[in-house]
Amino acid sequence: MKKIQEIISAVGASNIEGQQYPTICVEPNQLRKTAEQLKKEGFDVLLNLTGMDYNECFGVIYHLTSTANKNAMLVVKVNTASREDATIPTVSDIWQSANLYEREAYDFFGIQFINHPDLRRLFLRQDWKGFPFRKDYDADPKLNPVPLVNQTVEDMENMPSLRFDKDGKVITDHKGLFDKNEYVVNIGPQHPATHGVLHLRVSLDGEIINKVDPNFGYIHRGIEKMCESKTYPQILQLTERLDYLSGTINRHAFCLCVEKALGLEVPKRAQAVRIIFDELTRIASHLLGWGCMCMDMGSITAFIYGMRDREKIMDIFEETGGGRLMVGYNVIGGLANEVSPKFVDQVKEFIPYMRKMIKEYHILFTNNPIAKGRMENIGFLTKEAAASLGVTGPTGRASGWSCDVRKIEPYAGYDQLNFEEVLRSEGGTFDRYLIRLDEIEQSLRIIEQLIDNLPDDGFKAKTPAIIKLPEGEYYQRVENARGDFGVYINSKGDKNPYRVKFRSPCMTLISALDPLCRNEKIADLIMIGASLDYVIPCADR
Amino acid sequence: MITFGEIINNVHQGLTDALPAWLAATIEYVIIGAGFLGLYCVLALILILLERKICARFQCRIGPNRVGPWGLFQSVADMVKILLKEIISINNTDKVLFKTAMFLAIAGSFCTFGALQFGDGLACIDFNVGLFYILAISSLGVVGILLAGWSSNNKYTLIGAMRSGAQLISYELSAGIAIMTMVVLAGSLNISDIIAGQSKAWFIFQAPIPALIAFIIYLIAGHAETNRGPFDLPEAESELTAGYHTEYSGIQFGFFYLAEYLNMFIIAGVAATVFLGGWQPFQINAEWAEGFNSVMAYIPSWIWFMGKTFALVLLSLWVRWTFPRLRIDQLLKLEWKILMPISLVNLLIMAGWVLIF
Amino acid sequence: MIQYFKDLFSGIWNLLQGMRITMINFIRKPITEQYPENRGVKVYAERFRGELKMPHNDANEHKCTACGICQMNCPNGTIKVISKQITLEDGKTKKALDKYLYDLGTCTFCGLCTMNCPQKAITWSNNFEHSVFRRETLVKQLNNEGSQLEVKKAVVTPQQ
Repeated sequence: MKKIQEIISAVGASNIEGQQYPTICVEPNQLRKTAEQLKKEGFDVLLNLTGMDYNECFGVIYHLTSTANKNAMLVVKVNTASREDATIPTVSDIWQSANLYEREAYDFFGIQFINHPDLRRLFLRQDWKGFPFRKDYDADPKLNPVPLVNQTVEDMENMPSLRFDKDGKVITDHKGLFDKNEYVVNIGPQHPATHGVLHLRVSLDGEIINKVDPNFGYIHRGIEKMCESKTYPQILQLTERLDYLSGTINRHAFCLCVEKALGLEVPKRAQAVRIIFDELTRIASHLLGWGCMCMDMGSITAFIYGMRDREKIMDIFEETGGGRLMVGYNVIGGLANEVSPKFVDQVKEFIPYMRKMIKEYHILFTNNPIAKGRMENIGFLTKEAAASLGVTGPTGRASGWSCDVRKIEPYAGYDQLNFEEVLRSEGGTFDRYLIRLDEIEQSLRIIEQLIDNLPDDGFKAKTPAIIKLPEGEYYQRVENARGDFGVYINSKGDKNPYRVKFRSPCMTLISALDPLCRNEKIADLIMIGASLDYVIPCADR
Repeated sequence: MITFGEIINNVHQGLTDALPAWLAATIEYVIIGAGFLGLYCVLALILILLERKICARFQCRIGPNRVGPWGLFQSVADMVKILLKEIISINNTDKVLFKTAMFLAIAGSFCTFGALQFGDGLACIDFNVGLFYILAISSLGVVGILLAGWSSNNKYTLIGAMRSGAQLISYELSAGIAIMTMVVLAGSLNISDIIAGQSKAWFIFQAPIPALIAFIIYLIAGHAETNRGPFDLPEAESELTAGYHTEYSGIQFGFFYLAEYLNMFIIAGVAATVFLGGWQPFQINAEWAEGFNSVMAYIPSWIWFMGKTFALVLLSLWVRWTFPRLRIDQLLKLEWKILMPISLVNLLIMAGWVLIF
Repeated sequence: MIQYFKDLFSGIWNLLQGMRITMINFIRKPITEQYPENRGVKVYAERFRGELKMPHNDANEHKCTACGICQMNCPNGTIKVISKQITLEDGKTKKALDKYLYDLGTCTFCGLCTMNCPQKAITWSNNFEHSVFRRETLVKQLNNEGSQLEVKKAVVTPQQ
């Protein structure tokens, strides 16, 4: 892959100076050409797509990266002509991950993506009035009263797509999602195996799946919108409620982003403890992910074993952080308080215990011929598909895409630690299953390196009483238990952010369900869903 | 020692002496029917409690422990609750079939239950095609399940019922062949004859290799017939919420629940009868072991039967709470590619064994 | 054919190994906690954020100066500090705490109030048994009736 500067000049754009990542600005009518060129030049991953309301116009920010050159990041900015003419051509055929991202941006900002095949609202009901993330949105409950009737199936299945006619006017075409005589089964929103309130509409032929259509938004809380009216320390508690199973890591990401903007130097001790907490969270999350996968395959006993061992981690969190699931231990500038005197002993006791238990897990489940038979040769995701779908984390690494942010953009001192990025090549369900157990081993290794020699330079840097971020845009990637978690903050110099966007790994994971499950059986849908290990509040935000 | 057979004969004698024959017979039928119904329910309650306790221990838990000492009355409380629950009537179901289905399911298992011999002389019916009757009548349950799934007018139940149909019909085959193998050894379909043939040594010891294979196959196939994990595809709670009985509530659901647990007991009971000597005590066929044999024979026969059956039930629980669920194609593959060929070959081996020894 | 039997037996062997693991766990001590029975026996983490409280000393005095920083920091409007003006002995008027209202129903236990309190007047208790019958009961007044601000004793520096 060429140098980024060369690529930028090759696509005929100029770099905007003073940004964290190389940034280019593109006119809407040039976007498709540029995007195609960038894809050809190696930027095959659309990591994040952020809708923006700049008051005078709307904008979309694309964060691109590449599987070949892991460190390359490129930011592409597109602004619409005006507030009224908010049209931008779609890139969903170039990067598959744009499919859901563009639906989200349409849902919240009303940005019209021309030629997007399925421009339904993503989180809100199809009959919602207004676009809530616009700065001039009227939140009057009279406009959108609490609906007393269900959304009709016709509404849910009606896929609009926009195109220009000869005069340049936008016209809408409608297409149905399912055929009239397809056998469509609703899985969820209340279903034991959707791990939250996800609604999957599955078209079946006997036991064989033809198509999966995920419906989001049942647990949408508007966290990004709430962030715009809260101060930075207040936002911290919301980040934990995104992906509640890797809450500590999300919180860490937000702290890092704010610290980067403030130019704060975090004490070494705080960094080490933060990493220990992150890795413990990762272990806890993988244990639950493993357990849920076993349970979805019918082995409830294995689930209980996973939960039993996760409880040990929860106890460690409770002792030091004061919370079990919502630990609330990271604060801007360091940690909330000094670690508990029992902390080191508890962690040291946990490491050998966990190693012993992982052996038991392997005997109980990994080697079980029934489990193996169910997981092998099912649900293959190629590296190209994973990159195009933006599927990161353990799922992406199971497909052979080296996407561990801890290695690509080391943060908080991960570069000084000795650990391996677990990679597999096949991308099958069994790989996704094994990679989690292997990552637990690596996390234990990381903790082992840190726990014995915690530095001794205080737990918190001095922070201003009222935190105001300098004007600008900040982006921070971290590796949470499910993948690449990104925090985008746009600050206007206030004590509240102007716009916050969380790059949720789970939404892309859910979008991978449809390609993975086609021509498999219902039982596999449940299991593949569990092997992707998505958390719905993270996708819905 | 007075055996059950003597008591029953005395009662029968007394009744026929005092009353006209038709009245005596009617009274006997009613007593036996009521007794069996009571036994059926009590066994179900015990099994439900047992399963909950055992599964809890497999999962490092304690299990129900609030109702009564050690939670012993938990299933009694559950029974009272389920009896008091509202039976929700659902629109757009096939009303007649919906209400018939559960009776078919429970009738199938109850009729099979009646053919078991619980002890020396403690049998309800005993006729020359007993085993054949058991195999035939236990298939009635599948009709109930299919009807339940169909009449509920629900996509989950329909998928569950279809899975169940495919599963039960295929596993019936290898279960039947495994029993056939033993019939070859016993030379009779009459359950009393089969049990009597094991008074010296249980069948599993009389022809160790083919009998053991048949035993294992019967346990697997029987386990699959009871719709319990790893073969619980028709219910598959993580896929189909509750499978064929999703739409049933209150005691209607209770019927399916009872039938499921009793089927587990029946499968274990038949296995104990055919392979492990029914109510026959453990005997060593040798001169030196006479003392041992007489001690074994002193233990009442119904304890032998219950002990064997519950041991097999425990094994089934152990399996159920260890393994993940199979997928429908693997389930059928296991039956048609592994169990069926092996049991057919095994039948030949057994025939050879009988001819040679 | 050999492969068929090899697979069959290794499969059975691995199934038995799985059953061995569950049997090991069958014998292990259950990990269930008998909650209402172990009340008062079980030790809870000292830092556990169960419920906000305002410690009072023996003389029914608290440390809150009614500055309102906690109220400002709270993301959900859980805390309401109602102050009053009191007249001191020397005739000056001073702001003092009248009522400190805490709505448990909206609290997310983020800890910003205790972290930012300049007087350390509020802390977390690890009481987690929050259930009540009426929603109104969740709004709690943290300062005791008739309590007062703790007077800081002038530190007497030893003269040399």
